[in-house]
Amino acid sequence: MIEVDNLTKRFGQTLAVDAVSFTIGRGEVVGFLGPNGAGKTTTIRVLTCFHPATAGTARVAGFDVFDEPVKVRQQIGYLPENVPIYGDMRVEGYLRYRAALKGVPRRERRAAVARAMERCGVTEVRRKLVSQVSRGYRQRVGLADALVANPPILILDEPTSGLDPNQRRKIKDLVRELAVEHTILFSSHILAEVGDVSDRILLIDRGRLLADGRIDELLANAGGERIVVTARAPGEELVAALAGTPGCGPFAALAEAGAFATVAAELERDAAMGDPRDAIAARLGELDVQLRELRTELPALEQYFARMTGGGDRAASRPQSEAPR
Amino acid sequence: MTDPRLQMLAIGAGALGVAAAAAGLLRLVSRRGYVTFARELAALLFQPVGWIVLLLLYLFRGYEVVGLLTQAGLGPVDREQFTAAYLQTSSSLLMLLLVPAILTMRSFADEKRSGSLEVLLTAPVRDGEIVLGKWLAAAVYFGLIWLPAILLLVLLGGPQFLAAEFPIQPVLSGYLGIVLVGALFLAVGCFTSSLTDNQLLAALIGILFAFGTLFGPRYVEPFLQLRAAVPDAPGLGATAARVLGDEIWRGDFDGFGALLEVFRDTVLFPFVQRASVGDHLANWFFRGLLNTGQIVFYVVGTGCFLFLTTRSLDLRRWR
Repeated sequence: MIEVDNLTKRFGQTLAVDAVSFTIGRGEVVGFLGPNGAGKTTTIRVLTCFHPATAGTARVAGFDVFDEPVKVRQQIGYLPENVPIYGDMRVEGYLRYRAALKGVPRRERRAAVARAMERCGVTEVRRKLVSQVSRGYRQRVGLADALVANPPILILDEPTSGLDPNQRRKIKDLVRELAVEHTILFSSHILAEVGDVSDRILLIDRGRLLADGRIDELLANAGGERIVVTARAPGEELVAALAGTPGCGPFAALAEAGAFATVAAELERDAAMGDPRDAIAARLGELDVQLRELRTELPALEQYFARMTGGGDRAASRPQSEAPR
Repeated sequence: MTDPRLQMLAIGAGALGVAAAAAGLLRLVSRRGYVTFARELAALLFQPVGWIVLLLLYLFRGYEVVGLLTQAGLGPVDREQFTAAYLQTSSSLLMLLLVPAILTMRSFADEKRSGSLEVLLTAPVRDGEIVLGKWLAAAVYFGLIWLPAILLLVLLGGPQFLAAEFPIQPVLSGYLGIVLVGALFLAVGCFTSSLTDNQLLAALIGILFAFGTLFGPRYVEPFLQLRAAVPDAPGLGATAARVLGDEIWRGDFDGFGALLEVFRDTVLFPFVQRASVGDHLANWFFRGLLNTGQIVFYVVGTGCFLFLTTRSLDLRRWR
């Protein structure tokens, strides 16, 4: 549904998006992940035809964003960051207006608005002025606006930013529900959310696409998978006993609690070697050491993210893509 | 149809009819432009600022009309002169000068500032449709707020007041002229609003444009004539010199007059003079005279500025 090829966007001297390519198929839910200022919003704005690309192409549902912007926008329901909507209108009136603007025929408009309000849970505030509803409701009004014309593709820019945990969960549930019939691209800088909702992530930083794939695959391929052993023996003894296990790096003691010690080693994934857990269990059995726990462990999403994006702050080099004016 | 009540009814119905026809035409041409128009018109009608400005201007008008009637009551009424004088009161000029800029200052500047422009421009709508919808909403509103002033003029000619039975042509052509000039100024207002995200700046540039075209060209010739007749009179330096009695200052500071004289002799000046909105209104529309060239000037000028507005919105995409 979305094909992006070598997309590049410059704002003057600043390179906001640098030769990014990806494809999103029908029905996929893709998390667009990256630190603030990585180029997420800029990429999304190119896809919604708000900014033209400096180089490269993007097609949405087969329409080029540059040549057929109106057709592209008909395919997209877009929730911008911060949800800038007219505060002087009432929720229902605003959604009616948006439905009309998006070309929902007059006869179906009332039903379409009612359905979108129902889905996003804003029916109870429909007579309130948009400027008077809370942040969470406002976000959901924005989402209802994105849904009202029932477009096949939803693009949500930081749909959960600024919400409390309950509101966040509701939005996530809603996105999961919507995933049944829509293709969804949603951006976030919060990893847990992306993990919860989407099956695939695009990791972007400083305008470059760093990773693209299923979350578990990415984590496994990125290395850093560990094998963790807890057994009744002193730490050093355990390290010595397990040294040289095929498929494992050098072991190191992690913790000791009572008679039990926990040690861990980097896992060298190599299909030919088989699973080193078997070798470890056998070895400890030979030594007659009581084994309590034996597991492999993927690095946490946070650690992966920190490693891929170079960790700490670098405000100075951040492109100003979030506020191009 | 000499009964002023019938005339008022006809003019009122006619104005509303023209507004409805314009909206209907827009709906035929562009459904989405019409949706924008309907929202913007509602927003204008429910905004207090416009009504308060109007209240002030109509209070001012009432004060001026009392003055005009007192004058007229002293002697026989020159019907055409009364119409022209009524249409050219200071409140009329203020309404032409200020109201279009105020009506359109928010149109794009506010959307840019709040970010809602992004929501608007990522809907499946062309830029031109949005510009057209917003401009037409302002134009219809502008035409309707003039209606009471026009109807009052008809009423004043009735038997209870001057019993003058005004010829209806200057009233109608005056209204037409006002709406045409307003349409141009509103298009300029949309354009200035699309250039910045500061409403006040947008309004001030629009007012500057209106002021320049309403008054500028009209006063070049009289100013220079006065300057030629009384060499000392117009220059600031010359006046200062006379007051201070200092020979050294004499005439040296008359830079503005000199500049104006140079400008008058360039090829540009005849064009500027023919684009004098103030002259068009005072010498033609308010006297019941229609000039095709002038009407074309306003229609084309409005179209140009609306086009520039869409281009200016498009420019944002490239930054």
